[in-house]
Amino acid sequence: MAEATEYLTQANTLKFTGNWFIDAGILGFVNLMEEVYGWNLEILQKKINEDEEKVYYGYFPFAYLCKWLSDRKQKVNSELIKKLKEELEKKTFQNTKELFDFVWFNFICNLFKELWIKSKSKLIYKNEAYDKKNKTKQTIDYKNTQTYLQKIGERENLINEIQDKHQEEIKKILKKRELKKFEYDDLEKLINYNNGSISSELRNSIELLKEKHLGIINFLKEEWENNVINQQKFTEESLFYRIPIDSGFYKNFLFFNNFAGNLKQKDSFYDAICFNFDKEEILKKIDKTVNKFLPSEEEFSNINYTKLSAEPLKKQIGYLFVYLLCFTHAFENYRNIGYVMFYSNDLEFSYKINRKLKLYKKKIENSKNANLIFNVTWQQIIDSLVECKSSWSLENMYIISYQQLDNKTQRNVEYIGVPKLQASILLDDAIRENLNKSISYRKVKEKQYKWQWLIQEFIKGKPLYPIIFGHVNLTLNSDKNNKISLRYGPCLYSLMVEANILNFKNKNNKKSALFSEIFFDSYKSLIRDIKEDIRFSSFYSSLIKQISSDTNTKNRIARELLNALKTKDKNAFLNVLLKDLNGGEMLEFGSKFYDWVFEKIIKNEISYEMYGLLLVMNLLKGGESNE
Amino acid sequence: MSEMHSYSWQKVEGTGNEKLDLQELKEATVESFKNESDNAKQKLVYSLLETIRNNDQKEFFYILLKTINKPKESFNKLWGELQKWYELMPEEVFINFAYSIIIGIMSTYGGGKNE
Repeated sequence: MAEATEYLTQANTLKFTGNWFIDAGILGFVNLMEEVYGWNLEILQKKINEDEEKVYYGYFPFAYLCKWLSDRKQKVNSELIKKLKEELEKKTFQNTKELFDFVWFNFICNLFKELWIKSKSKLIYKNEAYDKKNKTKQTIDYKNTQTYLQKIGERENLINEIQDKHQEEIKKILKKRELKKFEYDDLEKLINYNNGSISSELRNSIELLKEKHLGIINFLKEEWENNVINQQKFTEESLFYRIPIDSGFYKNFLFFNNFAGNLKQKDSFYDAICFNFDKEEILKKIDKTVNKFLPSEEEFSNINYTKLSAEPLKKQIGYLFVYLLCFTHAFENYRNIGYVMFYSNDLEFSYKINRKLKLYKKKIENSKNANLIFNVTWQQIIDSLVECKSSWSLENMYIISYQQLDNKTQRNVEYIGVPKLQASILLDDAIRENLNKSISYRKVKEKQYKWQWLIQEFIKGKPLYPIIFGHVNLTLNSDKNNKISLRYGPCLYSLMVEANILNFKNKNNKKSALFSEIFFDSYKSLIRDIKEDIRFSSFYSSLIKQISSDTNTKNRIARELLNALKTKDKNAFLNVLLKDLNGGEMLEFGSKFYDWVFEKIIKNEISYEMYGLLLVMNLLKGGESNE
Repeated sequence: MSEMHSYSWQKVEGTGNEKLDLQELKEATVESFKNESDNAKQKLVYSLLETIRNNDQKEFFYILLKTINKPKESFNKLWGELQKWYELMPEEVFINFAYSIIIGIMSTYGGGKNE
């Protein structure tokens, strides 16, 4: 029995699958439940363990549509959420269908009452209720259509009358030059107009209009309450009572379809939750319909062999469509940046970091620095890693962002991976602090430079050497009035990190150790190597300062060395260096210094340029301290 | 490439059993020059650097061999090394070879007798 319980708990556990868009959905599901009910991951997991069905068939659909409303700046009645929690706590249901229906009619339909009424009272002109054949449109056709249209007609007459009589005044109120078609917004503006500077005749007419409008609202309210919430019997009038929802992301998908009536909406939502593909064909395939990052069924390149079917997934991920529907909730919208999500292979870790990111939302949005999101994300990743001590989460970390994602457009979609190698190096405090700097590397015009944030380039796997080279070059060529000082620390760390990574990769490539066990262990030794190299190389390279006590001489040598590095001419570099050492003020640099040049530059074909640049930096640094 | 003979630069690539060992070459140079005077070494280094700059391998070996053409026991190791590796090399191999010798000489500055 104990074993069975354990198995059940495991099966219920929310965890990532390894497929990023399903995982994004799982994270979105967790976010959604937290936003609506205030449950964090731990509590949600507990609730699922206690009663899985109540969470997925009861709490979820309501939360999903609550979020839909609040995303569209519609009011959500918090009392309703409280009531739902109470009712679901105490009530027991025979099956999931009964549970879902209960939530649908009593809570979801209640939730959408205002929006539905608004959508139906938006009809200003009666003739728009008819199609070309003069038949009542399907969406309006129901048992009391005549009464409804009569009320609409009366309001229309009144609007026309007011418009004719008080044209000029109304233009002023609506701030329009000409009155053409009267829209619902105009109606709202008019009946809510409070300024006293209108004629009493118009005021009376507006009062009358308000009354008529309220009459329609009350009529619709009664219809909804009597027929939908209380009676729940409206089979033929289902389309009239359609819950007015749509989605750019899930265009026409199941319950978002404009031609799905209230009951159809209910059933297809239920079928989506329980993954009932016998009833809903659309649930059989996973393609662009459910996720805009996927191609459409026709575009799938392997379609000639097999269709990508959702069927086999049912056993593994019972609530697949719940998660797929929650995909967008995994992303947080940041003004000026777009929708951003941090993803790693661990749910808890990803959840924590995304939650922390939200805390910094204001700071990120208010900053003019577009890199801040990256900066903050990185800081949160490091903090959480230290906190959880789960360095294995370092594998497969991504920041996924997009600006717009719907049926037609996928704008500015970015998928930035954080490689494990770079991530594990950045776990070291000293390295991270030194790389977490922006340095100038190119002159745009007088007193204006291009800057680069080192950590960002590093994480993207781009070489740091060209940036450091640019910075050193800029420092060397800056004039006295506009002196740029050398950022020695960040440059030293960047060069040493890069040189050691190159050597590390070269060594591993030769050993073909990529898939061996040593590969991961050697990461640790890599950090040790880097730090040791920083200590030794910064000391030995600094000895070059003794080459001359004259700043100009040192600058001349630095310039010659830099030119050799620029043309990647190792011969010229060594020739200049050794000739100047040989003819300098002193000869005795100590054999250790020459050993260092031998090891790091002569013998080294992989990264000699980095050590060469380090020597140039020391020549410039020495110059500064002498001044 | 015949198995009987492979050039040192091919050995650098690691195809043969023998591989050009720059460390050994440098150590042999240090051993040879540690007792020479700094002035002589400074001049020698200057001349050698000129030849490397022009990739003049013939001149490089000519100057070097002339310098160490002395009946001194300390030069024996370097003789041995040069005997092993002396041949025409591609520029990139020659650079490493020649600079290893030069750095070997330079690292002995201050260790010899000054005339």
